Amino acid sequence: MSTSEEISALLVTRFGTDPAAIRPEVPLRQLRLDSLALEELRLLIEDRMDIDLEDVVLSSRDTVAHLVAAVHSKAGA
Amino acid sequence: MTAPGPFARRSVRPGVEPFSAAVTGVGLVTAAGVGTDDAWRGVCDTGVAPSVPHLPELDGLPCDFMYTVDGLDTKAALGIAAQRLMDRFSQLAVIAAREAVADAGLDPSVWDSGRVAVVIGSAHGGLPFYDEQHTTLTERGARRVSPKLAPLSVVNGAASSVAMDLGVHGPSQAVSTACSSGTVAIGTAHQMLRAGACDIVVAGGAESVRSRLLIASACQMRAVSTRRDDPLAACRPFDTHRDGFVVGEGAGLLVMERPEHARARGATVRARVAGYGASSDAHSAVAPDPDGLGIERALRTALADADVDPTDIGHVNAHGTSTVANDLIEATMLRRVLGEHPLVTSTKAMTGHTLGAAGGIEAALTVLALQHQLVPPTGNLDAPDPAIPVDVVSKEARRAVFDCAVKTSLGFGGHNAALVLTRA
Repeated sequence: MSTSEEISALLVTRFGTDPAAIRPEVPLRQLRLDSLALEELRLLIEDRMDIDLEDVVLSSRDTVAHLVAAVHSKAGA
Repeated sequence: MTAPGPFARRSVRPGVEPFSAAVTGVGLVTAAGVGTDDAWRGVCDTGVAPSVPHLPELDGLPCDFMYTVDGLDTKAALGIAAQRLMDRFSQLAVIAAREAVADAGLDPSVWDSGRVAVVIGSAHGGLPFYDEQHTTLTERGARRVSPKLAPLSVVNGAASSVAMDLGVHGPSQAVSTACSSGTVAIGTAHQMLRAGACDIVVAGGAESVRSRLLIASACQMRAVSTRRDDPLAACRPFDTHRDGFVVGEGAGLLVMERPEHARARGATVRARVAGYGASSDAHSAVAPDPDGLGIERALRTALADADVDPTDIGHVNAHGTSTVANDLIEATMLRRVLGEHPLVTSTKAMTGHTLGAAGGIEAALTVLALQHQLVPPTGNLDAPDPAIPVDVVSKEARRAVFDCAVKTSLGFGGHNAALVLTRA
């Protein structure tokens, strides 16, 4: 499963996000991911992908593509 | 029989007219049934709970069973997005609140949301989440602790969740007075309506403490039943062989309105909350005042607040926890204050002791008892304790004609509360 697919799966199953709404250019806040949700998502991604996102700065203004890229860079590290 | 105490028939607020809040909606989520109709049937028809399961998280404890709300798909009822932002006690509260508001015939999309309030009692809030996350902290470290722990486990979580779900913009708050929380919440709502602070209040209690940590402590206190070989028979209020309470989860909420507000919209009134009294024992962290003076003070205050006589009370939904001390002290107090005529019941053998939710659930059942003129039975009352000096309804629900009923609650720390409810 790709990084994008992993994140999409978490958003759908854990946050109830509409799969059709998860597009690269969409800001995370448009998916109703506020600061609390982003920190929860950070933990879930870390556990699921066995990576450390501690120093990744996340904001609900970021897009899905930005999140995927940030996670992907850590997954490949 | 002891002579009446010093508070009999005395106006609590000289010059203040009695005030009755209209109860126009009821919502119940209990081990005896989910939804008001199922819960009422469960409480009245059988006299025993559908099940009191052993829980794996309680393995090895002297009390390893609890009353649980089964067959309720909270994810389907609330949706993933909403459910993830609520601890279980809040989820149960929101489901009960939705039922109560629908039962009242209210539409949150059009009501004057600034005139609606929420008051929900809970003793422990999201304690199970604390328990779980403490294990995470000790086993996996601080970086694995959920960021949701602090905002979701707070005792006001149920009140804020209901306010968000219903779009309530008036005051919302939690009440936490241990096992009297739900009753105090309804009393607080009564006072808010009387003061004109709002027109509608969603009020009651919610609790879910499936926590090894909490039950371990309750076992250490020797407060809970250890009848592991027969959990269905473990909670037996007023019975000679009672040996402690059995914890349950659930939520019970009322929609209460200022009477003119209910009248103006043509609402069906199920019953009325006519009086409220509260007191503090100032005695012990756990034990009730041995003479029941604290709960007596609360009850007499509620009777005076409602401007009714003890002889008017036809039914009491007692705290009746199934502990040796509570049941004797409470029943002796009821006889002293009300006499021998009221039909007394404890519905905890069917719902479990839902702690901070108990007052909400049992006040809702008292509303239904007034409406149906039917007193639910006290389950498992096989050998009535001869020292209990009141008429406890056992085995089968009993038909009766009564206009006034009482709900009493006592909480750890000596928090006593009583409500007087009347027929619509």
